[in-house]
Amino acid sequence: MIDIVNVSRVYHRGADEIHALESVNLHVSKGRFVALMGPSGSGKSTLLNVLAGLDRPNSGEVIVGGRRLNDLSEDQLAEFRAHTVGFVFQFFNLIPVLSAVENVELPLLLTKLSRAERRQRAETALRVVGLTERASHLPRQLSGGEQQRVAIARAIVTDADLVVADEPTGDLDARNAEEILSLLQTLKRDFGKTVVIVTHDPRAEKWVDEVIHLDKGLLLETRPGGASGEMAASR
Amino acid sequence: MKYLPFILRNLGRNPLRSLLTASAIALAIALVCILRTMPAGMDAFLSAIASNTRISTHNEAGMVYAMPYSYLQKVRAVPGVVAAISWQWFGGAIDPAKGVEFPNFAVDPEDFGKVYEDWKIAPQALEDFRKYRDAAIVGRATLEKHDWKVGDTVTLQSTVFPLQLSFRIVGEVPNERASQFYFQREYLIQAFAAAGAPIDSTGMIWSRIDDPERVAPAMKQIDEMFRNGEAETTSETEKSFFGNFFGSLKGIVTIILIVAGIVTLCIVFIAANTASMSVRERVGEIAILKAIGFRKKTIFTTLLAEAVVLSTVAGAAGALISLGLTSLLRSSASGGGGPQLGPLTGFIVTDAILVQAIFISFFIGILSGWLPALGASRRSVAQTLREVF
Repeated sequence: MIDIVNVSRVYHRGADEIHALESVNLHVSKGRFVALMGPSGSGKSTLLNVLAGLDRPNSGEVIVGGRRLNDLSEDQLAEFRAHTVGFVFQFFNLIPVLSAVENVELPLLLTKLSRAERRQRAETALRVVGLTERASHLPRQLSGGEQQRVAIARAIVTDADLVVADEPTGDLDARNAEEILSLLQTLKRDFGKTVVIVTHDPRAEKWVDEVIHLDKGLLLETRPGGASGEMAASR
Repeated sequence: MKYLPFILRNLGRNPLRSLLTASAIALAIALVCILRTMPAGMDAFLSAIASNTRISTHNEAGMVYAMPYSYLQKVRAVPGVVAAISWQWFGGAIDPAKGVEFPNFAVDPEDFGKVYEDWKIAPQALEDFRKYRDAAIVGRATLEKHDWKVGDTVTLQSTVFPLQLSFRIVGEVPNERASQFYFQREYLIQAFAAAGAPIDSTGMIWSRIDDPERVAPAMKQIDEMFRNGEAETTSETEKSFFGNFFGSLKGIVTIILIVAGIVTLCIVFIAANTASMSVRERVGEIAILKAIGFRKKTIFTTLLAEAVVLSTVAGAAGALISLGLTSLLRSSASGGGGPQLGPLTGFIVTDAILVQAIFISFFIGILSGWLPALGASRRSVAQTLREVF
């Protein structure tokens, strides 16, 4: 599903050069649940942005779902993200003036679906995350956990193959964090999605297939997570 | 259209700010609409009071200079001239301390009805005007303003000549805007003679031509006729005459329209500032929209559409306000306030002005929303996500 080959990303902040990623190589198979972990500034969010088509590397190749992202124009990248990637962010990032179901429907505005079809799909996505009854509520009327579930529904409503989440549990209490991680695992297990998350949360390790550890822009290690066959067998 | 609900929701995000911005635009557009009625109002006013087959002939040196009264007979002999009368400014005032409140002229009563046949003055009034030496025909606006009626006697003291004359009102010029006061030239001549200062001149000659096609040749012939004469003349159509008369007013109208343009420009900046604030507050959300696949063009279009929808709806409201205000002025005028409101009652917000107002509002939206929308659409999504989250 994802092939990152020798990718480097350098930012310039004033006169300083920040090497966010240095010659990173990574392969994520389809249907895997992967966590990118590491301290702040390790490059994990940059790696997530690069593989999701939000950012471009200075060098190296990024291939997702068979498409070489390096070759795509801005508009082609936008189209790629619209059809291939579902996004979940730390602070939920719902549009405050739209109801839960309207927020979920938002990515479908970019499709040719009719209004009724869009609404039907959005309601289905909300059903998957268990929020059917909260469909007409505005974000401010929802709890943090509910808002993050709406964000997940928005991420899957286009039936994207890849779901990426940047600190999806970062702003949640323990119970809600577990629910979100469980939901992401369900996406992988029941719907065959490839899920890549960036997290500081050690609880995530038991839910994922792989943990990829980064530090100072370098990919240090890849080890199996709690949901992988290896870990399950060793338990 | 599928983005319209999204656009409308965003406009409702900060209702007070949207309302205040819309109010500023609406009031500016209402002002522009009312000012835009002025040139058309002036034109309508001129069309209402003027005819293209009636011409004036006056001294080439200026209207304040006299011409020999004998010119009248010569003008009457020009081919195409149906009738002609002389006009002599009297400058009469009810109270000289207050000055002249309405224009008053001594005219030749015989052809008065022929020269002004389009004014539809009652035949009986014209007959009485010819019959009585002290007869006067008065415009309806002046009658109403001074609460005079046919049969009343009024006295005017000239502010030009040492004369005071009393007049018997025998009829009216049946037009709401007509303020003129006409009386017999012979009455003035006799008054001058009695004062020991006989006159044999006139200020102006008004003629009616039988065919619009013959107006230009007639004017040319009249002016040619008096070339190198005792007083050279200039002839022009009535509409042109009043157009020149109101020329300075039109200059003021131009200045007012320029001011209206500057007001509109100010509103563009205010609306642009509002749009910038709105976009700045939503930088994070816009980044999210980009992340989920919204293209630059879509982001740009939806943000621009917000500014355009707000501006156009507000502009339409402003146009309706101006329509309401001008209608109110006209209904006030018909309710008795006409003379006080003057030419304002003639300023009508036409369909063309309404359409122009909508277009101006639309372009205010485009101009005010363009740069903020462009800035937001061009911003890098990864950079924004790093900065905001």
